[in-house]
Amino acid sequence: CILHCFLFLLVFGRAIHAIARISDEFWFDPVEKGLALRSVNSSRSAYAYVFFSSMFFQHYRWTAVSQPCQKEKQLSLPCKLIIKSVLPVFRCVNILERNVEKCSIYTDINDHHITFQLLCKHGVVKTYNLTFQECEPLQAVFAKHMCPNVLKVHSRLLADVMIHFPTSQEEVTLSVTPMKVCFKSYTEEDADFSKTMLTEVRLNPEEFDYFQVGVDSEVTFCLKELRGLLAFSEATSVPISIHFDVSGKPIAFSVEDVALEASFILATLCDIEKEPASQRPPGPSQQQESAADTVASKKPQWDGNAPNAEPAKSTGPSVKQESTNVPRDTGREVPGVEGTALAEAEDHAVGEGKAAGSPSQKVRRLPVSYFYQHSLSFQFHSLFFGAVSCTEKGAISPTFRSLATASDTEDTGSVQSSQL
Amino acid sequence: MRFGAKIVDLACLNHFSRVMSTITKLAKTCTLRLTDGKLYFILSDKVAHGGVSMWCELCQGNFFDEFQMEGVAADHNEIYLELVPENLSRALKTAQSAKAVKIKLTNKHCPCLRVAVELPSLSSSSRIVTHDIPVGVIPRRLWNDFREPSVPDFDVSIYLPVLKTMKSVVERMKNLSNTIVIEANLSGEMNLKIETDLVSVTTHFKDLGNPPWASEDGYQSSAQARDLESMAEARIDIKKLQQLLAGQQVNPTKALCNILSKRIVHFILLHEDVSLQYFIPALA
Repeated sequence: CILHCFLFLLVFGRAIHAIARISDEFWFDPVEKGLALRSVNSSRSAYAYVFFSSMFFQHYRWTAVSQPCQKEKQLSLPCKLIIKSVLPVFRCVNILERNVEKCSIYTDINDHHITFQLLCKHGVVKTYNLTFQECEPLQAVFAKHMCPNVLKVHSRLLADVMIHFPTSQEEVTLSVTPMKVCFKSYTEEDADFSKTMLTEVRLNPEEFDYFQVGVDSEVTFCLKELRGLLAFSEATSVPISIHFDVSGKPIAFSVEDVALEASFILATLCDIEKEPASQRPPGPSQQQESAADTVASKKPQWDGNAPNAEPAKSTGPSVKQESTNVPRDTGREVPGVEGTALAEAEDHAVGEGKAAGSPSQKVRRLPVSYFYQHSLSFQFHSLFFGAVSCTEKGAISPTFRSLATASDTEDTGSVQSSQL
Repeated sequence: MRFGAKIVDLACLNHFSRVMSTITKLAKTCTLRLTDGKLYFILSDKVAHGGVSMWCELCQGNFFDEFQMEGVAADHNEIYLELVPENLSRALKTAQSAKAVKIKLTNKHCPCLRVAVELPSLSSSSRIVTHDIPVGVIPRRLWNDFREPSVPDFDVSIYLPVLKTMKSVVERMKNLSNTIVIEANLSGEMNLKIETDLVSVTTHFKDLGNPPWASEDGYQSSAQARDLESMAEARIDIKKLQQLLAGQQVNPTKALCNILSKRIVHFILLHEDVSLQYFIPALA
């Protein structure tokens, strides 16, 4: 398909820079309604999504082209770009805005190139041809409306808060009660307290445009990943909404406007001390059990008889049966493997998702229910990612949709369903 | 042992912040000595820092609106703390528009200097930023290590040229050489020299003036006996000199150096309420 558009550089450039803080590559996904940029970091603990609607661009033309090799018309051109190639285009955005009159982006699916063209003053034209890799787009689903805690604030305030933390500060903790809010620096337990400086910024709930605290919580997330969004948000002057829950559950920083929308979803540290030792990954049987739980609740079509909203801990022989069903379903075997991994990570709610990680390590990983892997060719792309493609019909799509709405269930005891 | 202080005046806060910036450039860790009337930032001449030593003295009344301390004992009413000046500097840097800054010695997990900055905010109550800076308490038996260094029996004492000029000269020389020779005489002349295989560069300063030192028995006479033109010189690490000059954000009221030939260079920088002495030993 061909994408042809002009855009406001400062905002777009800042978006690229913000995404660059997350990962070295990003998904460039033009669709009919606009242009979506998505990125995930290597440790799967941060996900960024920026969507520019066609209204953002001075001119946006998107044409669907059907691929002869696929049965259905491919409606999107999902592709992956290396950030390092794109960043130079938008280096020094502030200066860029003054010198560049127009920026246009062309893509041609047959060419495997995306062209960024900057029409600058004095007749200078800079053209950047970047190759991309075709791949499945990914999408995270995060039910913001399910979050008990919602704060809305202008990015200036957040920036003013973060300035008190050194640039080297990796992680910060946001602590809220209905009466107070504070951001404090986080240090690992085994760090030397006699060496590290700790900073705490206490704010008044009145300073927020919107302040809703349903549950007292302390969530720890990566500050570095957030800084990019803060800069981007300042360029757009749209206020930032913060949706979060208790520790272990992701925190979402988002901005939303008529012309654009951006979400940065960051995993938060799980308070491992609260987890009883028995929950640590022991033998495979327990893992399979939990796998079956999740599998059963998430992909009912695989065993065909489990209802959508499965209670959290099914016990006994029925569980074992379900777990054996999964591998047999060869058509979905790969997703099944993912399902196991899904459950593993899920079960430990962002704790040590992989057995490879040492138990003492606090690993942040976004609960994988947020990501849906969809594999057109049954190729194993990534353990934790979900891709959404309109072309796939059948069992998976309705599952996806229904899962998105399954969050309405009031099954609070279940880890799995509450994630939805 | 207790310590609490408060700064309310913005000008004082900025001044103290600048002092901390200067100290940060000179030492990674140093000793903070608190007495009833003064604060001292001390770096003793251990080999670890290349033999340099620093003595910075502030009159607390010029900076703090409130200042209370209680030393380790009644007859030793002082507190010696080891700290990383950068932490304190950083805490103060973002307090530019503060309503008040309080510094207190606390001991929660470990001894800390707690800096609480009260910032104005749009809401009714202020925003409070707290920084807990870990410090080490230095026991009394080690206090002797931190005595004020005596002025060396120098050969030449001379006022420094305009620091900004000196700084830019030294910065450029730093690119060419690791050591620099500083020489001066009692006629107000100073030279900064570097010499490498490829190039040698000398910058000459004239009419700098020589400070009069109060005579102690026989002192004056030995200085007077010295030939006015003869240069006293010392080869020092250029980086140390550059750090000293780079840290000066405000022009001192008085800036001078004392050179003991081939042994040590002693810099004295005096501001209204801060005095800074910096000793750089000569290299072999």
